[in-house]
Order: sequence, then structure tokens, then C-alpha cells
Amino acid sequence: MKSFVLLLLCLSSIFIQSQNNAIGLNEKLVFTASYNMSGLLTDLAQVTMETSEVKTSNSTLLHLKGKARTYTKWDGFFKINDLYESYVNINSLKPYLYKRDINEGGYYKFMQYNYNHKTNTVKSLKRKRRGDGTFWEENKSLNISSNTKDIIATLYHIRNLDIDKATIGSSDTFTVLMDNEEFKITLTLLDKETIATNIGKKECFKLAISMNNNNLLKGNNDNLLWLTADDNKIPVYAKFKVPVGNGELRIQSATGLKN
Amino acid sequence: MRILVTTLAIIAAILGLILSILPFGPIALIPIVIAFVLGFIAFKMAQKNRANTKLIKIVFLITIIALVLSIYRSVFETNVVENDIETIKKEKQSKEDAIQELEGLEIED
Repeated sequence: MKSFVLLLLCLSSIFIQSQNNAIGLNEKLVFTASYNMSGLLTDLAQVTMETSEVKTSNSTLLHLKGKARTYTKWDGFFKINDLYESYVNINSLKPYLYKRDINEGGYYKFMQYNYNHKTNTVKSLKRKRRGDGTFWEENKSLNISSNTKDIIATLYHIRNLDIDKATIGSSDTFTVLMDNEEFKITLTLLDKETIATNIGKKECFKLAISMNNNNLLKGNNDNLLWLTADDNKIPVYAKFKVPVGNGELRIQSATGLKN
Repeated sequence: MRILVTTLAIIAAILGLILSILPFGPIALIPIVIAFVLGFIAFKMAQKNRANTKLIKIVFLITIIALVLSIYRSVFETNVVENDIETIKKEKQSKEDAIQELEGLEIED
């Protein structure tokens, strides 16, 4: 009887951990992305993160959508129209389909990952545009580890973690599939601080992001993310340093929150 | 020396005007401030040497136009994203394609 109760407790704790407690089903977060030009921040683009329910004939999934669009005033110089999508399990946030459609100043790239969690493989499709306007495709089958996720699913997975139980200085590593390669992202909890945002003063978890074996993110503790220290854990502010410069992401509005 | 400072002030003023027309936001203030400082130095030098200050006055005029334009754009121009039909259609199509892809997949509950 004792062991049965223990087993039940263990199972229930696993179940609780795999539940989505932070992400709403119709959530919309709007951000302003600014680029640092000679020490002055210039608003460059609008970044939107949306969630919605998607029904297939036999299941319901959560559609995570990330969009990046340059403000109209920049479109004549350098137009960005990026769409990132991930279709995940509504409870465990396990990804099943990932789509990335990027259009940046005439450069076009499409990536699609179909996950097979039984065999730990991903069917990958890459489509790019040639200089003459025609397209070429590449199909690949990739072996992944059991906890590998795409970048969008990883971002939402981080929000669903019990960060409040972590101690200052502790870190966690996540495996991210990007451009058909697996990368390790390490997240370190630096501090808990209150910052002023467009949606009010928020107590936040200050996290440092670093990427192993990839030079997309530069510097040491130069890529920071502030997540609200409440049940929603929404990203309200981010500072990033990439090879072409540095900038920041500031929240403008947050609607449809779960808690 | 006066000619060099005046030339640099002209370059800074023109650059400030170009950047205030382009959507670079507050970055235009850098050459504007430089143009003002250099213009002031050049003006003082010209006064001391009793030289013609007409060109320096033009520099000040360009700088003021650039400053007004830059401040106006910073205060009154809002950040807007074009909501074009092509993108809306693309997103809709992408979702429809995804649902088709997901129909064939085994999804754990």
C-alpha cells in the first residue's frame, strides 16, 4: 500500500511537471525590437508571439507563432517578414511540426521539421531561392535526442519551467534544432529584479543565455532575458548581442494570458 | 583651419539632414550636434578674422531644419507595421498546410 501511494505520488509529480501552467491558448505578446546604432537605440521591427488552438481530425494542438516585421518606415530600405511556427502538444509542449519562413531583404528561406518522437528523428525540408528567382529543395532525415526542440518550442518550454524553485546562479541546458543541426543553449538564473515595462513594473527572473558551438550569440552574459516572476513567466525585456551588432526587445502589450 | 572647420560643419550638417529624412531615428542627432559645435567654432573664427559668415549661417540653417525634422519624426511618427493581404494569405496558407501535415502524424495525448 505504501509503495502504491509512493508510486502514485511520483506519477502525479511527473504529470504536474509536464502540464502547461504558463501559456494561454489565445495569448498575444507584442514586442518592439530595437537596434543599437552608435549607442542610440533605433526601433526596427515588431515581434509578435501568438498562441492558438489547432484541431486536426483526431487531436488538438497548440499553435505557437512568432512573427518579425520591420516597421513600414524601414520597408523601403530593408524589409523583414519572418514567420516562425511550432505546433506542440497542448499539455506537454512537445513539438510535432516546425515551420520557418524567412524573407529578409530579398533573402528567402523555408525550413520545415516533422518530428517523430517514437524514432527520435526529424524529417527536414529546406527550400531556398536562387538568384534567378527559382527555388531548390533539400529533404533530409535527422537523428535527434529525445529532448530536442525547435527554437519556438524551446522558448515556450522555458516559460513553463519552475524557475521560482531554481537558485540564483543555477543553470539548465536545452538542445535546440536549428538549420538541421543540434545546438546546446544554456540558461543561467542571474538574479531576481524589478524592472519598469510598458505593461507596468514587474518582478522578473533575469536569465543569461549562451549558445555552445554556435556564434549566433556573442559575448559572455551579454544576452539577457527577463521573464516575469509570476505564473505566466512572460518575456518582457531582452538584450542581445549578435555578430552584426546589439539591440534589445521590449514588450508593448500582453493579452490573453493564462493566469 | 577656419576653412577646415567650416567644411567639416557643412559635411556634418548635410549628413544630419540626410539622416533626419531617413528613418534612423535619434541617430541623426549625432551629426546635428557636431554641425552645431563646428559651426559655432567656425563662426567665432570668422568673426575674429572679420571673414564672411554667410556660409556658416547656411550651415546653421541646414542644421536647424535637420533638428526640427528629426524631433518632429521622433515625436509624431508612430511605429506601424504594414498589414498586407499577401502576408495574411501566407500565414493562412501555412496554417492550412500544417493541419494537413499534422493529420498524418501520430500525436501522443
